[in-house]
Amino acid sequence: MARHEGLGRLTRLRYELDAFTLIEIIFPVFMLTLFLLLPVLSTFEAATKYRLSNLLGESYWNPWNPTGQGVRLIKGAGYTRIVVEGWNYGVILNSVINAAVVTLAASILGIIVAFVLARYEFPAKTLLRVMAIVPLLVTPFVNAYVIKKIFGPTFGTNTLSWFLHDILHLPIYIEVRNLAGVTLTQIITFYPIIYLNMFSALLNIDPNLEEQAENLGARGFKLFRTVTLPLALPGLAAGAALVFIFSLEDVGAPIIFGFRDILSYRIFAYFIGLSAGSKSPEVGALALVMLLIALTVFVGIRQYVSLRQYAMISKGGRWKPRITKPGWKGLLAIYLVVFPIVLFTMLPQLGVITLSLSERWGTSPLPQGFTLSNFAGIIHRSGVFRGIENSFTYSTLAVSIIILVSISVSYVVSRLRIPGMTALDTLATMPIAIPGLVVAYGYFFFFRGIARGTILDPLRDPAIPIILAYSMRRLPFAARSIFAGFSQVHEALDEAAMNLGATRRKVLSSILLPMLLLNIASGTLLSFVYCMGETSVSVTLGGLGGDVGTPNHRGPITMVIYDLISNPRANSIQLAAALGVILMSLQITAIVLITLVFKQSYAFIGV
Amino acid sequence: MVKLRLDNVTKRFGRTVAVSGMSVEVEHGELFTFLGPSGCGKSTTLRLIAGFELPDEGKIFFDDEDVTLKKPYERGTAMVFQNYALWPHMTVYDNIAYGLKLRKLPKNEIKRKVKEALEMVKLPGYEDRYPTQLSGGEQQRVALARALVVEPKILLLDEPLSNLDAKLRLEMREEIRRLQRELGVTTIYVTHDQEEAMSISDRIAVMNKGRLMQVGTPHEIYYKPRNIFVASFIGRSTVLQGRVLRIEEDVAEVLVGNLRLRGIVMGDEAMRPGGEAMIVIRPEFFEKEAPREPYNTIKGRVALSMFMGVFNQVRIEDGGVGLTAYLEPEDTPPLGSELTLYIPINKVYVYAASQALLPYKTGM
Ligand SMILES: Nc1ncnc2c1ncn2[C@@H]1O[C@H](COP(=O)(O)OP(=O)(O)O)[C@@H](O)[C@H]1O
Ligand SMILES: [Mg+2]
Repeated sequence: MARHEGLGRLTRLRYELDAFTLIEIIFPVFMLTLFLLLPVLSTFEAATKYRLSNLLGESYWNPWNPTGQGVRLIKGAGYTRIVVEGWNYGVILNSVINAAVVTLAASILGIIVAFVLARYEFPAKTLLRVMAIVPLLVTPFVNAYVIKKIFGPTFGTNTLSWFLHDILHLPIYIEVRNLAGVTLTQIITFYPIIYLNMFSALLNIDPNLEEQAENLGARGFKLFRTVTLPLALPGLAAGAALVFIFSLEDVGAPIIFGFRDILSYRIFAYFIGLSAGSKSPEVGALALVMLLIALTVFVGIRQYVSLRQYAMISKGGRWKPRITKPGWKGLLAIYLVVFPIVLFTMLPQLGVITLSLSERWGTSPLPQGFTLSNFAGIIHRSGVFRGIENSFTYSTLAVSIIILVSISVSYVVSRLRIPGMTALDTLATMPIAIPGLVVAYGYFFFFRGIARGTILDPLRDPAIPIILAYSMRRLPFAARSIFAGFSQVHEALDEAAMNLGATRRKVLSSILLPMLLLNIASGTLLSFVYCMGETSVSVTLGGLGGDVGTPNHRGPITMVIYDLISNPRANSIQLAAALGVILMSLQITAIVLITLVFKQSYAFIGV
Repeated sequence: MVKLRLDNVTKRFGRTVAVSGMSVEVEHGELFTFLGPSGCGKSTTLRLIAGFELPDEGKIFFDDEDVTLKKPYERGTAMVFQNYALWPHMTVYDNIAYGLKLRKLPKNEIKRKVKEALEMVKLPGYEDRYPTQLSGGEQQRVALARALVVEPKILLLDEPLSNLDAKLRLEMREEIRRLQRELGVTTIYVTHDQEEAMSISDRIAVMNKGRLMQVGTPHEIYYKPRNIFVASFIGRSTVLQGRVLRIEEDVAEVLVGNLRLRGIVMGDEAMRPGGEAMIVIRPEFFEKEAPREPYNTIKGRVALSMFMGVFNQVRIEDGGVGLTAYLEPEDTPPLGSELTLYIPINKVYVYAASQALLPYKTGM
């Protein structure tokens, strides 16, 4: 049969597009290009200002003769002092090795806890579940500070050594320092991400598959290794990749442990040096290296997970999960191993709360004295309350952008039949793979370059750049939750409205948005608390807006926490802890609202 | 109320041709049904008319207006979806008023029209309920009211009864027919249920694999199936394959197994002696007494006998060939007994086998 004149591609495109859909496409493309892609890509240009071969100099790249002493045993009079500090392979390798070790250890911890909670029924299980949530609560810098007080070098004895030596009367002192301290802190901080991903992956495994394998004779660890783990691998890989990136870009632990030979610290230090007018041409190159490492990881595990899987962990439960009662050996393992592990990982949060209610934590092994004055100090101390106000403003505005972009992207991707639109979805999820410090540096370099002296120039005023950077960094989480909502609404509901005369804009405002109110509300809350706890951009760009000890600075709450800890004044550490408690309360409120009031099944992942 | 014309419309999804070169005209106020097996492109046809899909080729006209490139919200059609697609966050009132509000009608007129519409579908006083508080049948009625209240140019119904139980289905079927007659709205109805199509339609288009197999009144479709597909899709016919022995005018004698059957030649394809042929025999066409017109005689053993209520279904085997026939309900010959049945020659449909096209289903 002869082909008739078919409809051209252009006609087809015009049919889908009108002024409204065009805006819905152009707006997110514009935002993501100008405020994410271009700044991040500008690190390539920034790197050319530096001779890249210098990165092979000893301080950056030292694979053959690492300095540092790993683990040392120092014999004293009737005791042994164990000093764990790790090795120093140069800035770049340190970052990679640290992130790898953190990811591996966090994975093991996370898998164990997730498996126990997903597959076993035992007394006090609910308690363990609640305990496992605690490490998710984010308290930038203060958590690392507490870990250092417990395990690290101090003027007196650290809490662990005091516990071992003075309470248990063991002839042992332990001190974790330098890179090892960073690693330990990050393992404790980030393992819940693995736990959550793994937990939801385990709940989403069709129990029939495991039962079938059991029928065929696979049992115990063999069953786990040959069936369960491979099925949960995408979830695990997603979690592991996140942990790797978070570790790579984390500045809190290196700052607190004073470990400078790591990428994150070097990039951070550049911003500190800015006010002192220092020149560090290598920072662009370091940001690029960090970006490339992060991207390599995501490309490397691409076959296991699609990018969009990262941002959303549904608490799952399509199936009735396989839950068994462990035998006495299993029970013993749960109570003697798993409970202590989770308790151990709660230490930072417990420490922060205790510290916020204490008068001091000087050379003593535990905080001392009880007071509520630290919370009063939040209001009175110069610049502190200002930080909270700034964070609220920044986060609120960033969330507005996040929600608008998320809605546009979700609408366009789920509703318009225009080829290539899924790329927009990928673009909106991409911030997950980009270290915050790279975003911060990219903003600085890019907008100093093209918009010097304008409101986008972070040196003139960091407020707008911080808001935009927040909105890009925290976009994926809300975008995933809202996108999921859009996909769940049957398209016939749109069509029924269009059919009765509703334009696309009208369909969105009268059908989709009202139906997705809860998804949007959850996305709003979630991204709000994520913005409040944001660190990388906050302590870099956030430090460019005046001394945070003065009343009119531009720094957000995390910048203030950093300042209180690293420039100690009277009670400033306790004040930082009190701010940490405020952040935790916000996060708990959000979790409770989302799960109990909005009944949404998106798990909170600290970030 | 408009006349609808599809002009050589084709719609592909990747490699699937969902609708293939379809041309059809639907008259003012007609109830026109697309009937065919699942996946044959019925819904796609409806969605093309509504503007949810754009044809790859061809044009669509409402009266003389080319609407091919018009957006769904500019077409003035109203669709009742298979799953009703009521908006769960709106009350029944708001659901039905939606289209009227978009048309910017005054408030009290909207109120009046919604009330009338609810009375029309026999749900007076349901304004304040939410869709989740309604039964399937009630949701169906609300969906119908929502579509009718805007006085659409064309009413589109996509398997509107498929989610209802059998009793409700019959009831709603009559209801839809009644409303359609009353309002005189041009209606396109989609179903895979031949009985539903027969009972409700002015005309039926039988579809298979995106193509029109036949368009005609229910009577024409039933008594003059143009091809083997239509013949076997409608009713529960026995389909047999055999060789043409001879042809006289429009009567062909066909050898099936060891059985010689004479029937009338149907379809467009030329048939010649020695060629393969397909025979379609409807079970309700068998008779116990020899009829007046020329007939075939089937003399065989009863291989199966099933009491179905309004009739008794038997399978009779003759010359190695099994045929399904309906007898009077009280006529229940024992298994294995001898049975003689007659079937008029003009009720045995013979098609050239090259036309067979893969019958949708063969008789049991
Ligand atoms: N949006 C779509 N994308 C891809 N294939 C489709 C789409 N819609 C329908 N099809 C295919 O087109 C054919 C016709 O579908 P449809 O019109 O829904 O059939 P029916 O309503 O008769 O059951 C089927 O093969 C179906 O799989
Ligand atoms: Mg269909």
